[in-house]
Formats: sequence, structure tokens, C-alpha cells
Amino acid sequence: MTEPAPRLVYRWDLDKTYLLSELDSLRGLVKIPFERPEDKVAAPGVAALIRGLRESALSRGGDVRIYFLSASPPQIGRAIRRKLELDGIVHDGIVFKDQLQRLFRGKFRHLREQVGYKLTELLKARQAEPVTAREYLFGDDWESDPLIYSLYADVVAGRLLPAALEELLRAGRVDPPLITEAGALAEACARAADRPRTEPVARIFINLERPTPPAALRAFGARLVPTFNYLQTAACLFEEEALSAAAAVAVARSLVEESGYRAGQIANSLADIVRRDHLGEAAAAVLRLAFGRAGLLPTAPPRWRDRLVRRWRRTPPGAAEAPVLPDYRSMIGTPEVEAPGSTQHD
Amino acid sequence: MPTVAVDVMGGEHGPDAVVHGVAAVSLQSDIDCLLVGDEARIQKILDSTAYNPERIAILHAAEAIDASEEPRSAVRYKRKASLFVALREVAAGRCAAVVSAGNAAAAIGASLRELTLLPGVRTAAMASVYPRAAEHAGQDPLALALDVGATVRCTADELVHFAVMGSTYARVISRVAEPRVALLNMGRDPLQGDAVLSAAHRRLRDRRGLNFVGNIEGHELTSGRADVVVCEGLLGNIVLKLLESVATMAVDLTAAAAPRSWRLRAGMAIMATGSDGLRALADYSSYGGAPLLGFEQVFIKAHGRSQAPAIGNAVKVAAKAARDGLIPALKAALADD
Repeated sequence: MTEPAPRLVYRWDLDKTYLLSELDSLRGLVKIPFERPEDKVAAPGVAALIRGLRESALSRGGDVRIYFLSASPPQIGRAIRRKLELDGIVHDGIVFKDQLQRLFRGKFRHLREQVGYKLTELLKARQAEPVTAREYLFGDDWESDPLIYSLYADVVAGRLLPAALEELLRAGRVDPPLITEAGALAEACARAADRPRTEPVARIFINLERPTPPAALRAFGARLVPTFNYLQTAACLFEEEALSAAAAVAVARSLVEESGYRAGQIANSLADIVRRDHLGEAAAAVLRLAFGRAGLLPTAPPRWRDRLVRRWRRTPPGAAEAPVLPDYRSMIGTPEVEAPGSTQHD
Repeated sequence: MPTVAVDVMGGEHGPDAVVHGVAAVSLQSDIDCLLVGDEARIQKILDSTAYNPERIAILHAAEAIDASEEPRSAVRYKRKASLFVALREVAAGRCAAVVSAGNAAAAIGASLRELTLLPGVRTAAMASVYPRAAEHAGQDPLALALDVGATVRCTADELVHFAVMGSTYARVISRVAEPRVALLNMGRDPLQGDAVLSAAHRRLRDRRGLNFVGNIEGHELTSGRADVVVCEGLLGNIVLKLLESVATMAVDLTAAAAPRSWRLRAGMAIMATGSDGLRALADYSSYGGAPLLGFEQVFIKAHGRSQAPAIGNAVKVAAKAARDGLIPALKAALADD
């Protein structure tokens, strides 16, 4: 008897990750609750990618879950659900941040507080998944997604112990009740951790919307992949065998047909993610062939010498490296975090 | 939008300034750039800055020509240098223009090897922009001088070609409707200077479609009298470098001449804004570059001391020249001979 494939869980942030929300101006923020579903704009290629992820998993008879986690209030939930429906996205749940309820309780800090909120919601959600579930997380570079997702990944992998997590959250001035809650949830995750067999969070994709220089996120390790567009994300997921070549072609096609991308931009995006060592040359070659057949790449063949140089210089992509604990202390500014193994836990 | 090939390894500030300049352009415009140089080094610099990868491609070049290298030897032996690779991309039609901040003499030599001269043109001219006083509102604060180093001495015919090409460039790129063209000489009298200058004056005066305003003297260069100043390479190069040094020289001489009196020091502090402005005006490292004219391809030579904004401006000028049809306009203007 072969073991069934682990459940694939895709967790998506909404604003600036799925939607091109205008968070950088007061006008944009005020506008969000009043936008109609058809006025909301999805990031180029993202809908095709999510559809492709589900289809790719189901076509192999796999078990897949797609969730959204948003810091937006539930009052805009109806518009968001409708927007996802219009985009053909089938999902398994959306969590909103109940800002009004928190406001009525006088917890004004919660309105700004992202780390505690998102981390506890992620840890809560993890309890509902099988211990073998393999997750892919999608966020952006606007707030704290790289930190939140990395903390979460290390907690569920058992590398970051609950006490150390609480200490980091205290240093990050997270609201105390949320620290306690996160600590308790982390404890539960640690008990259920399936460390020897699988890495629960396979990869974290950060959409460089601002765009942040990729090197600024290097401290989070090779598990975190900064991408400039969803073609780059699709290419990495193709290499992970989470996305079929046909689905990757669909993402590229949606960029060309719906967002006005030119073939040169597709080629440049692919070359960039290879150069940044997040995608291996072998996977890139397969994709180039598939994109070329679909008429999505420039007709002229790549310069052979350049291609050879790149292949010669290629190092294995980062995902193959074993994740190591990022230096959260210097990121958050706390004096000390206990290394795994220095504290016993059940 | 056409693709601009950029020689990353040229320039005194090296790949950093060039890559940062192109990265900024990738975020601000729809110009596509091909960065030519050490691929790993370019990617490392890109990683540390904000950029749009959709607009940037990289082509590896194994060698680079240093600013201090002997140009003839570099042109002869360094055919794999980033400058040569970039020029070949343009010559093959894969890119519409090339930008380099590298060794000027090597740029001219390499261009003569890799690019094609326009029909009827016997030698290329290196142009340069310099600041001048505007005579009326809306007048371009920069004038164009050519040749500033591609030649040493030239014939009257060549000076006429320079005038036609400079005038066309000013019309297409600087949007000057009827650029005023002048011949740099030692006096306004048409017969002054040597036989070449006299013959050039006569031919320029008789040339149709050219707004020739006569000879211009050295002290008039920074006035608004001419939009395009034509001269031989030897003279142009000396004049240009003298102009470059004027602002620094003025500031340095004032500082040295100031006695150690608190009143004069206070006076100098008040003047500091003005002298900084003067220095900024004459800061050639912030200008966007100027063309190497005479080829069937667009070549924008950025100043060797160019920082990122100047490189960005040079790339924009190159893209504009390609997009607005500089080469067809040059061909048409030269065909009127």
C-alpha cells in the first residue's frame, strides 16, 4: 500500500496579494468597503494561477484546500466572495478580521496589529488540517507577511518553540492576549508536529508589489521566494510539481491576453527567477518550450552562448536546501530567542 | 517600445551606477533594456534595488574595457568586452540603441568596427551637451557641440555633415523647430580661420534647410546664440573639457582667494547656494549623455562620471531617439546633399 499524497493547502492573503488594493492612500483605503465586486481588480495572472493549482491537484486525484486570510473587515466579505466567484475561484474558506467588534471592545491597537492576528489565525487553521498537510503561503511586501509566514512555518515545523515564539511576540509588542493565544496554539502544533517526515510549509511566496529589493528578504531564507509577478510564482510551483505545465501556460496566457504583457516580458520574468536561483534551469527549459509552443515567447531562439553560460553557472534552486531558523531576534529586536533543542517540550 | 542595450561595465562608477540607473528606468517607463556585462555581478546589484524584471534582460559578457585602458589595444584585443557585445546586439537589429558610459575613444573605435556609417558619411562625430544661457523662455538650457573627439582634423565636407546631423538631432530629440547652427572659429568674419573653416562656412551658408547663423567665438558659446556648435574634434574636445572645469575652477579660486576674515567667510557662506547651483549646472555627471552621430544605429555616450540618474536619462534619450526615428531623419537630411 502506498501512502496517499499529503493534502495540499494554499493560503492566500487578499489585499496586495490577490487584489490590487490601493492601501497606500487614505482615499484608497476609504474606497475599499464601497467597491463593487466587478470594480475590484485582481493582480495579473493570480486567478489563473489559483484555478490552475486546484485543477492540477484534482487531476492527479489529490486532496487540495484553498483558503484566504484577510485583514479586511467581514463587512466587505460579500463583495470579496462575489469577486472570487466572478474570477472562477473555488475556495474552502475566507477569514476576515472583525475590526468593528474589536473597536467596540475598545481594542484600538488590534486595528493596526497584524502579526498577532494573522499568526493566531494561521495556527488555528493548522489545527484543522492533517499533520501531513503541505502548505504554500502567499503574501505581499506591504506589511508583515514575510515575518508572519516565516514564524508560522517554523512553529509548525517544530523549529521555533512556543516559549521562543512568545518572547518574540512580546518583543514585537503584540497584544498580550494574542501572545498567550499564539503560545497555546503553538504548543498544540508542536505536539502534532510531524517533523521527521515532512516540512509542513513548503514555500512562502511574497508578491513584490512595492517593489521591495529581493535582497531585503534574504534573511528569511531560501524557503521564502520573492516574486515580481505570478508567472514567476507559477514557474516555481511548476517545479514543485504543484502546478501542471498546462496550468503554467494558462497563467502566462492570462498575462498576455488580459493584462497586455508582451512575449519579451514573459521571457524576462522567467530569466529573472532563474538568475535569482529560485527556479532550476531544467524546469525553466520545460516551461520555455511550453510557452514557445503556445506562442507566448519571442520567436527568436535565446542566444545559445548565453543559455550555456547560465546552465554552467547554475546552482540548485534554494528550495532544495533544508530550512534554517531565520535570525528573528535581529528582525524584531529581541535580546534572545532559545534555539530548538535548548528547551524541552512535550 | 524598443530595447536599449546598455554597456554595464563602462563608466567610472562601474556597474553599480549603471544598473541602478536602468533599474529606476524599469520602474518609471516602458523602456526595455538589455544589460550587457558580468551576469552574476549585475544580478547581485539588481537584488539590492527595486526593479521591474519584466523590462530587463541580461546578456553575459566575459570582458570589460576599463576607462584607463589604451583604446586601440582594447578595441583590437577585447572583442568579448561588454561594449562590443552591446554594439553587436544593435548591429544585428536585436536592440534599437546602445548606451555606454565607458572609455570614449574605445567606444568610437568599437563603433567603427561594429556599426555601419550612414550613406555619404565618411566619419562619425561625437556630440556633447553643455549648459548655456537661454535667450528666451522655453529655450533648451543645453546646447549641442560636435565633434568633441571622434576626429582630430576634418574636411569642410565633414564639418557640413556634422552640422546637418547635429541640427537633425536637435530637431528630433530636443524638439527645436529650427536649430541655429554655428561654426566655432576665432572671429565672426567668414574668411577667418584656415581654408577648411572658410570653405565650411561658405558651404554651410549655402546649405538648404540649415539655419546657419555664422561663426561663433569661444566667449559666445554659453550664450543662447547657437543650438548646435560645429567644430573639429581636437578643438571641440579641448573646449568641452575647459567648459567642464570652469565651475569647479571658479568655486575653488574663490575659496582660495578668501582671506581668513570672519566677514568674508560669512559672505562666502551666503554665496554657497549660488556656487552649489553653479557646480550643479556644470555637473556633467548628471546629464543624460549625447549621441555618437554618423552611424545607422543609435549610440548614446553617457559621461564617464555618470551616476545612476544620468544613466537613466541616457537610456531615455536613446529610447526616444529610436522611437522618434532619429536615424531615418538623419538619412533624409543627409540625402539633401
